Amino acid sequence: MSLLRYESQLREPLVDGNKTYHDVTEDICRPIEGKPGKLWYIGFYISVALLLFGIYSVYREVVYGIGQWNVNHTVGWGWDITNFVWWVGIGHAGTLISAILLLFRQTWRNGVNRAAEAMTIFAVMCAGQFPVWHMGRVWNAFFVFPYPNSRGPLWPNFASPLMWDVFAISTYFTVSLLFWYSGLIPDFGTIRDRAKTKFRKFAYGIASFGWSGSTKHWQRLESLSLVLAGLATPLVLSVHTIVSFDFATSVIPGWHTTIFPPYFVAGAIFSGFAMVQTLLLVTRKVLGLQGYITLGHIEAMNKVIVLTGSIVGCAYLTELFMAFYSQNQYESYAFFYSRANFFSPYGWAYWGMMFCNVVSPQIFWFRKMRRNLWVTMFLSIVVNIGMWFERFVIIVTSLFRDYLPSSWPYYYSPSIWEIGFYVGTFGLFFTCYFLFSKYFPVIAIAEVKQILKVSGESYKEKMDKLEEEPVEEFAHAAAH
Amino acid sequence: MASIKEQFEVPSKMKTWSMALIVIGVISFILGLITKGMSGDEQEKATFIGTLMYNSIFWMLICNASMFFICATTLAMGGWHTVIKRIPEAISTLVPVFGIITLVIFIYVVLIDRTASIYEWLDKDAVAKDHLLSGKSGFLNPAFFMIWSILAIGIWSILGHRMRKLSSEADEKPMDINTGKSYIWRNTVTAGLFIVWFALTIGSTVPWFWMMSLDAHWYSTMYSWYTFGSSFVTGMSLIALWLIYLKNKGYLGYANENHLHNIGIFIFAFSIFWTYLWFAQYMLIWYGNIPEETVYFKHRVQGAYKGIFFMNIIINFVCPLLILMKRSVKRNYTLMTFMAVLIIFGHWIDFYQMVMGSVRENEASLSWLDFGIASLFIGLMIHFTSRALAKKPLVSEYHPFLKESIAHHI
Repeated sequence: MSLLRYESQLREPLVDGNKTYHDVTEDICRPIEGKPGKLWYIGFYISVALLLFGIYSVYREVVYGIGQWNVNHTVGWGWDITNFVWWVGIGHAGTLISAILLLFRQTWRNGVNRAAEAMTIFAVMCAGQFPVWHMGRVWNAFFVFPYPNSRGPLWPNFASPLMWDVFAISTYFTVSLLFWYSGLIPDFGTIRDRAKTKFRKFAYGIASFGWSGSTKHWQRLESLSLVLAGLATPLVLSVHTIVSFDFATSVIPGWHTTIFPPYFVAGAIFSGFAMVQTLLLVTRKVLGLQGYITLGHIEAMNKVIVLTGSIVGCAYLTELFMAFYSQNQYESYAFFYSRANFFSPYGWAYWGMMFCNVVSPQIFWFRKMRRNLWVTMFLSIVVNIGMWFERFVIIVTSLFRDYLPSSWPYYYSPSIWEIGFYVGTFGLFFTCYFLFSKYFPVIAIAEVKQILKVSGESYKEKMDKLEEEPVEEFAHAAAH
Repeated sequence: MASIKEQFEVPSKMKTWSMALIVIGVISFILGLITKGMSGDEQEKATFIGTLMYNSIFWMLICNASMFFICATTLAMGGWHTVIKRIPEAISTLVPVFGIITLVIFIYVVLIDRTASIYEWLDKDAVAKDHLLSGKSGFLNPAFFMIWSILAIGIWSILGHRMRKLSSEADEKPMDINTGKSYIWRNTVTAGLFIVWFALTIGSTVPWFWMMSLDAHWYSTMYSWYTFGSSFVTGMSLIALWLIYLKNKGYLGYANENHLHNIGIFIFAFSIFWTYLWFAQYMLIWYGNIPEETVYFKHRVQGAYKGIFFMNIIINFVCPLLILMKRSVKRNYTLMTFMAVLIIFGHWIDFYQMVMGSVRENEASLSWLDFGIASLFIGLMIHFTSRALAKKPLVSEYHPFLKESIAHHI
């Protein structure tokens, strides 16, 4: 007997219930082939409404100018860039799950990767809106691309991290999209083959690129996945690293600190996983996918949340300590006056951030809490609020009191159109997600099937013989 | 076919070699003490103490990285490393040994001699005149330094000991699913405690105390994570070397190139991670161009340490990137031996420049003393690791994840 994979019975199954290959296909294709429920329509229309409000807010900004927002001296970056960083951060979990966990061979990723990757792509789409519309004269947005142009020898500033962002995010988006789509091809093939209507057959036929399921196709898909995973792994780090450079390369107190890159990446993964939890808890319930996104999956993701939350906490305390240790009066003003001081104008944001990001996730040290759906749902939202606070704290508290005290009394709060823009990106995000959950298999059918015979509940129960086999015989069988 | 009761016996050749290295080390120490330590020249004395310091810190941290590896994989419910787990366990027995050596050096520097040529903040007059240093004295003071160092090393040692003791339980009797689960659970608790303490020490305070405060005015928030990156990748290389050695001697029948490959992935990944931290720290300080921050790199990039500075990047980034990327290399015992030795040397050099670059700014002299003292630590490491390996079976027969580890394919 050759033994390619073996999993201890000690580990809980990754697919619950006595599923067969056919059940997997049926369960995951059901929402696509049936009519969506009432809740889906309500959710979808609300999302579209939010999106329309966002579009109107952006329209105001484009037609009447940046003055529609309350960003001004000294807070030149406000909600827009806060939201940009927040969305980019959220867009990190998908690629981490699909690329890094693939390289680490964590098979629990197979149940959640599809939805997480989709979420990544939508989040990056939302993030991209903010810098673009913040340009003011958005019709000149193409100036960011370096090409020989008719504007004289006028190139973008390659030494600017804002420029690096353009490349980092567009590369990230491209690779994530390719990765996601290449995984979808065999599943589209499955849906095409099951299609009962002509249109569906035609549409999924095009989407599946003529996938036949032949060995050759599988081989190519597998090697493509590995190459894309390899490419995507450094991208998980690079995107938020470069976003952190937007701040850290400057000499503004509270921004210029060397720990920013890894700390931003940890924070991004933290918020990304929180968003995945929020979405998947609803998705699994509404679509009845509890057998595939099990408590074990949720627990694993909660472990990632407590880990990354603690890393972020370690970074916050490091920063705070260095503000003291450096004995630099500007740093210490930024940290001990503007931020960590409860009575400063934005003290509430700092302590909100500390509570949401560092204190609250510690509850996940307890197994019971990690496996409690309500706690997880609540915490995932708390974490995302906390991560929004973090970006707001970094941007606004460092800017609102600069070196010129005469500009100090100004307190920045957003205008309705700034809020509208943010709300609009929620609309965009959820509109996309609703469409995704209707027309796409939200769980990777082919990948779940790969682990079914190793991690599926009914199959694991049949492993008794292997479990009880003496180690030497087992090793012999494994080697031959 | 491999038998389960694999029992390592320390070959006499190994005993001789480790003793020889220790003797070389002791002789170097005595010669160093006479020619430099007691020469009356402040600079020479600082060089001598600095050499002892970076070596003891470096070798202790890389041995502690072994325990970090065990705890991290335990928390992640990893199974693949079960067949090779006794190697990092054995290496981690060195933590108290090197810990005591390190503490003795610190007691001398901080409490007895108050060597201001090493730690400027020990000089009371200098601190009183310098408002920056006096502002820091709430943190940088001998009492806090010593108490924290003792706590750090002590708790690593105690928790490490508990992890090793737990590991021995898997040699005793078979476990069913329930006892297996509770066994894994108990491992997880101790591992969790270790990781938290690790974050509070190596992930933050300890490198600030021991090494960053050598430049008492300079600061970088990245410093501790950088130190962690450097020591962890070296620790993995050390595990790889022992694995290869034991395989060559015919032990560890269940371990194969798949396990080596996985360690190779760790070495590759964390070499890149180290470079990432290196780049982030360097680039941000270069870009910001604030004199208080660039002072650290000024003499390292442009002065006496220029060669070492660039060698550091070539050995620790360029080589692993180009050589370890290929799958076949990570499964090749000879090439992995070469890379592991290279990386240990490379990060030793990294620690050398971190410490000596601050102790002796205008002159970089890698001399017989550096290699002699290193040989003392290597000798001790071989001696104690091999002894620890011989104490227990090399494979814990009843570990719940043993079969997963045997069937490990990548």
